[in-house]
Amino acid sequence: MKKPPVKSINTVAKRFAGRSELALQRKNIRESLVSVAGLIGKPVKDQGGKEIGRLVDVVVRHGENSYPPVSGLIVKVGQSKSFIDGARIAKLTQNEIQLSSAKVDLTEFTRREGESLLDADVLDHQIVDVNGLRVVRSSDLYLAPLDREIRVVGVDISFKAFIRRIFPGALGRGPIPEHVIDWANVASLAHGTGVVRSTESRTALGQLRPADLADLIEDLAGRERNALIEILDPDLAADALEEMEDGELQGLLRGLPAQRSAELISLMEPDEGAEVLRDLGEVHRESIFVEMDTGVAKQLRKLVEFDETLAGGIMTSHMLITHEADTVASALALLVEHRGRDISDGVVVVDTKGKLLDHIQIIELIAAKPGSKLSSLIGPPYPTSVNLNTRLEEVIVEFANNRGASIIVVDEKNKPVGRILADDLVDALASTSENHGFAQGSGVK
Amino acid sequence: MANKSTISPNKIRIAALLAVMGPGLIAGLSDNDPAGITTYSVLGADYGYQLLWVLVASTFALIVLHDLGSRIGVVTRQGMIGLIRQKYGARSGTLSAGALILANIGTMTAEFAGIAAAGQLFGFSKYVSVPVAAIAVSFLVLRNSFATVEKVFFIISAGFIAYIIAGFMAGPDWGAAARGVLIPTIPFTQDAIFIATATIGTTLAPWGLAFIQSYAVDKRLTKDDLKLLRVDVWTGSLLTGVIGFFVVVTCAATLNKQGIHINGAADAAKALEPLAGTMAKELFAIGLIGAALLAASILPLSTAYSVSDLTGRPAALDDSPKEAPLFYLTFGLITGISAVLVLIPGAPLIKILVLTQVLNAILLLPLLIYMFGISRDKQLMGEYVATRTMKIIYSIIIAVVATAVVCMLWFTIN
Repeated sequence: MKKPPVKSINTVAKRFAGRSELALQRKNIRESLVSVAGLIGKPVKDQGGKEIGRLVDVVVRHGENSYPPVSGLIVKVGQSKSFIDGARIAKLTQNEIQLSSAKVDLTEFTRREGESLLDADVLDHQIVDVNGLRVVRSSDLYLAPLDREIRVVGVDISFKAFIRRIFPGALGRGPIPEHVIDWANVASLAHGTGVVRSTESRTALGQLRPADLADLIEDLAGRERNALIEILDPDLAADALEEMEDGELQGLLRGLPAQRSAELISLMEPDEGAEVLRDLGEVHRESIFVEMDTGVAKQLRKLVEFDETLAGGIMTSHMLITHEADTVASALALLVEHRGRDISDGVVVVDTKGKLLDHIQIIELIAAKPGSKLSSLIGPPYPTSVNLNTRLEEVIVEFANNRGASIIVVDEKNKPVGRILADDLVDALASTSENHGFAQGSGVK
Repeated sequence: MANKSTISPNKIRIAALLAVMGPGLIAGLSDNDPAGITTYSVLGADYGYQLLWVLVASTFALIVLHDLGSRIGVVTRQGMIGLIRQKYGARSGTLSAGALILANIGTMTAEFAGIAAAGQLFGFSKYVSVPVAAIAVSFLVLRNSFATVEKVFFIISAGFIAYIIAGFMAGPDWGAAARGVLIPTIPFTQDAIFIATATIGTTLAPWGLAFIQSYAVDKRLTKDDLKLLRVDVWTGSLLTGVIGFFVVVTCAATLNKQGIHINGAADAAKALEPLAGTMAKELFAIGLIGAALLAASILPLSTAYSVSDLTGRPAALDDSPKEAPLFYLTFGLITGISAVLVLIPGAPLIKILVLTQVLNAILLLPLLIYMFGISRDKQLMGEYVATRTMKIIYSIIIAVVATAVVCMLWFTIN
């Protein structure tokens, strides 16, 4: 793991200040940073300066803004815990909190949608450092006044900040701004909150590569992992799932509601989706099928039936089928329509009975006249095709002999049912050579 | 249509069991390390069959706690120390990590003491055997080429199964043994409380609890594996208990009968004479070395893992020392300090072996209390949250360990 450059709190200042004011803003922000870890247990006073209780937790509301505002405080008054609305905070410093009224009516705290508790849900919990591409624990959180509200602006993930919390008194508090990461660059996975999250960290997550995202998902604890899946865009989540190890993915799907699993699997490449479904138990698999679109479920059911060592078990059923009478223009339109699928490198052409005639590459289509019929493009080299029951070894031989990018799988009537791409072969080979040895434990990854 | 897979469900079950098999068995069997064998030997040699119930009760607690530890690992997918930090905050996290480090330095010292004692039986000075063992184990572990060697040590340490045969051959008083198991009595003396506490400490070693949890996390075991994991935990724990039982019985039937107190490894080895005759020493020494090396290979690594878990950045052997300084520092310190402690001239090896296990029992307490808290946390454990019955059982275990520790401290002060 490479240590990423720590993004400092200064970037927060940049967001909220013009360049000329930057230095001043930076200074102000540093001075106004309040450590949440140091704040817990501090006295909460009324307008007259009389202590009414001690701070137990800070409640924040997640929403559109990247820096969630404090929506209230949980204060221990006598033996009971009460909620004080954030609007009534007059002053919040590292050493005390003062309320704006003399009278306090104490209400019990009930968590509202989109709220989380900084001490109970976030501090010391796992968070995703989006810039550093890693799962870390938060050592401290920082509040600062921004945009007329007190907001969470930064998180400290350093071991130093963690260690200083062990010590009592002033040693345990002082913020170390150099180690603070901009809150917008982390994804907090606090549970108990709704799905409303910082949009910015969501966007940041959206820019990750699926493989990196898969690593992050694998590193997270159970609840946090499900929380991350919840906040991701389903298409991206499905891409990440494809990159996960088989065992991990199975474990993940077992922890998710069937409805969510069905949604994600439907978005995965059919062969990848079928592979994971094949590994799940029959009862679980059926519970997922029930939640799926019937068309997708039917297609996946077919794929699941095949043995993983046969062509039918490793192929993907996604391909673009055109008829010999179709025009080049319509074939290109079909390709454009499915441009999101990375395997759409051409179209498969069939005759009136649905039998395989040829596979035409995009480049051939582009070079041809838009109005011409596809039948005019049919000719050697013809695509290699294998039967559904062709064994993996033979598929490899065919691949090696033809040096093509893909092979077409046909049924007994020579109708195309799927394609095998080079990466499907790599996956199939990788899963057959995986060994499940008696590896040593105790933290050796 | 295509051929459907024709592997029978039975075959799958066995394969799955083998894949999960390990953490319980390793953690369980490694309890029969030099410290364990020596403590059980002293228990039998000094008190005959009378304190067998302590061992039986400890084995029961071992099953319960390892079951809990593995379940926490599977359900939360977090290591013990990280989880304590998350639930109880920085101070508790550091305290538990500190307790674990201390206990593990103690146990690691015991492993080296075992190697020193075994070496002496073969005529090697401890100034040779201990450094050689420390360097060899570290080298193997850090080069990550341990998987095969580990199995070898595992098989060698299983040589202690010889105690089961020796136990029968020694012709023990089965009636007295049954009474010792069923009727819990204990002389209220410092020595008796001391060895009983050590028995608890060596059986319920803190490192075993942390290890089994991190193993479950590391192996990415899922809730579906829980049943098989339970089989593994029960097998490992029961095997530990059975071997421990026969060590006590064998020593009761031989050493205790002859009035021999264990002052050195040679005394302890005499218990195997009914089985191995003149080869008893060699058999004992080989078992001791295998068990010591097995435990010594897991302990520093497990501790290093726990410490990096505290920092929130789980490290592993594929990180370089520059990337994970704390991981390697812990590894080095655990190995280094323990080796040096054993090498202090005139250090009483058998005393060290037993003393470190008493320390284990003391440091076990905070960890148990945290584990208990985690087991009751509905948010963390979900549907696997502890039931009423289990909560009562956990409380009893904690109360018993606490009582033993308090009694022992009371004797020490007076």
